[in-house]
Order: sequence, then C-alpha cells, then structure tokens
Amino acid sequence: MIINGVEIRDSFAEAFPMVGARLVITADTPEWALTAARVTTGFATSVIGCGCEAGIEREIPPSETPDGRPGIAILIFAMDFGSLKKVVPLRLGQCILTCPTTACYSGMDTGKRVPLAKTIRYFADGHQISKKIGDKRFWRMPVMEGEFVCDEDTGSVEGVGGGNFLILARSRPQALAAAEAAVKAMGTVGGNILPFPGGIVRSGSKVGSKYKGLFASTNDAYCPTLRGAVASALPPEVGSVMEIVIDGVSFNSVADATRIGIKAVCQIGAAGGIVAVDAGNYGGNLGPFHFKLREIMAREQVA
Amino acid sequence: MTITLRPHAPFSARVDLSQITPAVLGALTARDAEYRQVPYGGRMRALADLFFIEGTGGNGPLVIEIGDIRLDGVGAGLESGEIIVDGEVGAWAGRGMSGGVLRIAGNAGDYLGAELSGGRIEVKGNAGDHAGAATSGSRRGMSGGVLRIHGSAGARLAERQRGGLIVVGGDAGEGLATDMIAGTVAVEGAIGALAGRGMKRGTVFAKIAPVLPAGFVDTGNHDLIALRLLARRIEDLKGLLDGVTSARRIVGDTLLGGQGEVLVVG
Repeated sequence: MIINGVEIRDSFAEAFPMVGARLVITADTPEWALTAARVTTGFATSVIGCGCEAGIEREIPPSETPDGRPGIAILIFAMDFGSLKKVVPLRLGQCILTCPTTACYSGMDTGKRVPLAKTIRYFADGHQISKKIGDKRFWRMPVMEGEFVCDEDTGSVEGVGGGNFLILARSRPQALAAAEAAVKAMGTVGGNILPFPGGIVRSGSKVGSKYKGLFASTNDAYCPTLRGAVASALPPEVGSVMEIVIDGVSFNSVADATRIGIKAVCQIGAAGGIVAVDAGNYGGNLGPFHFKLREIMAREQVA
Repeated sequence: MTITLRPHAPFSARVDLSQITPAVLGALTARDAEYRQVPYGGRMRALADLFFIEGTGGNGPLVIEIGDIRLDGVGAGLESGEIIVDGEVGAWAGRGMSGGVLRIAGNAGDYLGAELSGGRIEVKGNAGDHAGAATSGSRRGMSGGVLRIHGSAGARLAERQRGGLIVVGGDAGEGLATDMIAGTVAVEGAIGALAGRGMKRGTVFAKIAPVLPAGFVDTGNHDLIALRLLARRIEDLKGLLDGVTSARRIVGDTLLGGQGEVLVVG
C-alpha cells in the first residue's frame, strides 16, 4: 500500500492489555492545570522503567469541569490493577496536591475503583472533611494555600498499551516534522495518550539485550547508523526513524489514533522526505492486540 | 396507574398512615385495600371508612388528595415509589424513609424526615420541629437522602444529623444542628438561637450569620473551591451557592472537640 508516495508496510503494532484511570485536574488558570498535569504525567513514558505510562489526554473547558474552572484530563496506565492503585495516589499526592490552586476529580465512573483522596486524605491530619453527593464522595483537605478538593476515587478501564507506528524518513528534521504533525493530529482523538516526550520516541526498543538483566535494548534493526552492520529493516535512503507510542482506553481508540497519525504523516508524503510507515511488534506472540497498518489505513480509504 | 386516597371528610382524630405506601396498596386488591386497617384516634379503622380509594393493584404513585394536619406518618418507611400529598400533613412524614420520593404541597408537622436514610422529601410549605432529626432516645438523625423544605423549619432542625442534605428556603428555628455528626444543612433565611451546640462535624450553610455558642471560632473569609463544586453538582444548592466562591468559615463546637463548620455565604 502506498499513500502519497509513502509505503505503508505490511506490518502490525503489537499491543498489550493495560489498566488505566482518568483524572480531571482543574486550577484557577489553564496554565496551572497544565503544570499539574505535566508534572503528574512526568517520568511516565514506559512501564519498563517508570511503573506506569501517563499522558495528557485533552484540555477541558471550564463549562465541562466539575468546579467550572479550566481543566486537563490525564490518563495513567499500568500493567495491572494493583500497580495502578499504587501509582495513582503517589502521583496525586506528590504532583497535584502540591500544585497551587488545583483540584482533582474522577474522570471515569465505571470499572474497579482506584483510590484518590481515599488514600491521601490523611495528609490533612484529621482536619479533612468529606461530602457525599449521591453515591460519590469528595474530600476537602486544608492546605497552606487554602483547600484541596479531591474525589474519593475514580473508575478504571481495561485498555490497550503499546500501540505504535514508526516513521521512516530521509533525514532527522523530516522524520521529526512528520512525527510532530502526527502528534498534533492525534491530539484530537479522545481516549488516548502518547506517553513519550512530546508524544515521540526517538529510541524505540526491541525485547531483550545481550546484557543480562536488561529487558529492552535499542531497536538496532531501525537504527540508521547500524545499517549493514545488523539485519536492518531500513532501505538505503532512510536516515532517521521516529516512533509514536499510543496507549488508549480501547482497541478502537488506539486504532483511530493510529489511523489519524499515519494520515497526517502521509499528508507530508514522499515530497516531505517520508519513505515508509512501519510498526513495532514481537512476532505476534506476546501481545494479544494487533494493529495491522494496512487494514487500519484501508478503513480510512473506504471511509 | 395512580393510586388515589381522597378523604371522605376532614378527620376528627389523628390517622396513622405509616403502613400505607404505594408498594403496600399496589399489592392489594381493591377489596383488601378497603379493609386495610389503620390507626385512627385510639382505634383501628378500615381505610375505606376514611378514604375513597382508587387505583389499587397498580404500580404508580400514591396520591393523597386533600391533605390534613391529622395525617401522621405519611411516607414513613418508604423504600421506593412516590407519594404526593395535595395539602398538608401531620407529624412523622417520611420518618425512616430509605428511598423513593415524598412530595407535600402544604405544610408538614414535627419530625418530618426524622432519621431519613435515603430518597427525597420535598415540602412546599413549612415544617414543624425536629425535621431531619433523631427521634427521642435515638443516637442518630437523618443519615442520607435529601430533605427540601421550601418554607421555614421549626426548632431542632437536623439535630444529631449523620448525613444527607437538608435545604430550607426560609428560616430555621432555634437549636439548628444541635449535636450534628455529619451531613449538610443549608438555610436561606434567618437561623434561630443556639445553633450548632455540640456539633461534631458536618456543614451548615447560612446566608445570614447566626449567633453561635462560645465554642465556635471564626476563621475568616476563604475562597473555597468546594462551593463551586457543590453548586454544580447539587441542584438543590444552586439557589444558595450559584456564583458564590467564598465564605466566612466558623468552626465548632470546639468546646466539645467538634470540627463542624458554619459557612456564611451571604
């Protein structure tokens, strides 16, 4: 399949089940909501080293937030529910509670409950106050700045982690420009996050290593500087590869984001130095979710 | 189909309707409903001796046409369904309700919604004393649900309240929230003397600052995000809190180690 001169390789992204939770962070200004969101989702690029994967899902206008202030929705994913229950309160306590003017609310009603203020309310040392509205409870915690308001818990979802595609370009600036365009376009699809810096991975990995104890190492087949020295997947004209990794609340949300991202890459096309779009997988034996690039893009062409 | 009770005439003694709910009448044949015994004065009387009855066997709301100050226990113990009273009711209306809706077009007597644990009571007129409170000898008053009084409430509103929401459109009598344990009360009018004595936790919203016992400490005015949240999440508080972002927070009853709060939002 070729779109605008860009080869869509006959490959697939192999993804894994993850469990995720959505938090809605509000603050007096959009800037402070964004600050809290960025800090909370920091150092959360890969479960391999961070224990979770997190990112900003979207901005929420004041008219849609629980307290009528500017908001940001973030998603946090972990490999299992036990891990999620640990990382969410940790990040909430260290990054949102501490951030000026913020409040934090549940962004999901269904699924297993992930504790929010249920865990961190004890910081208020007995001065915490709860209010129950219907079957939902929120907590008010006195802090030096005023009061921190936080829902007791949030729902969770069994989602998909590790959706991905690779952008093979002639040069690094061209690969980066295409990746940036993809990230921008994918920001319009709800239910997904791109957990890596700016949504882009420049150091994609393969499973395993020659060194004992390393679970992952550089994806040498896609490293341009190793072409010829290893079993390379890169044609001679490719000078740089960027990867987009996607975690989402469902298979379809990841598939939609993948399609929109690749579409943005293809709009730049061969004229912009894009050679091909590929995907990372482990042979299909590890992850149950397979995002076949050509099938995904064929859906778009039919549509 | 709506179940209707229409009094034959004004009652000359108190009628206890605490055992009459939509579920009870809905499960009876017309004949069984007519013979259903209810306390009337010191004796038991057949329901048909007191009311015209229509629509039994249905699962619709129960409508009591022409309310009466002598109708006690209306909606007491209600678990589901709806009771509508076109007029006033006596004491114990909605006592111990755990679900459903009770709507009263007129005034209600004492102990309205006493020990309410769920559901909703809406009174267009005034309520007597002890609304949402604990009954005599009981440790806890209302623990859940919503009690909405559009008029004024009498003394000891929310005494020993443990949870739920009470909203009063008019004034509240003396002893509001005495020994309150938790929950929320909002009063849009004036609040009588001795409010909050023995308050342990819970929140009283007031438009007019009440005179409080010595154990209350004024912490000053504060911008409270929770006010915006409550205004958006609770329809019943919109009238009081819409557009309000700050409140004067008075904490007590500290003489008894309490951490309740009176939030003056006027």
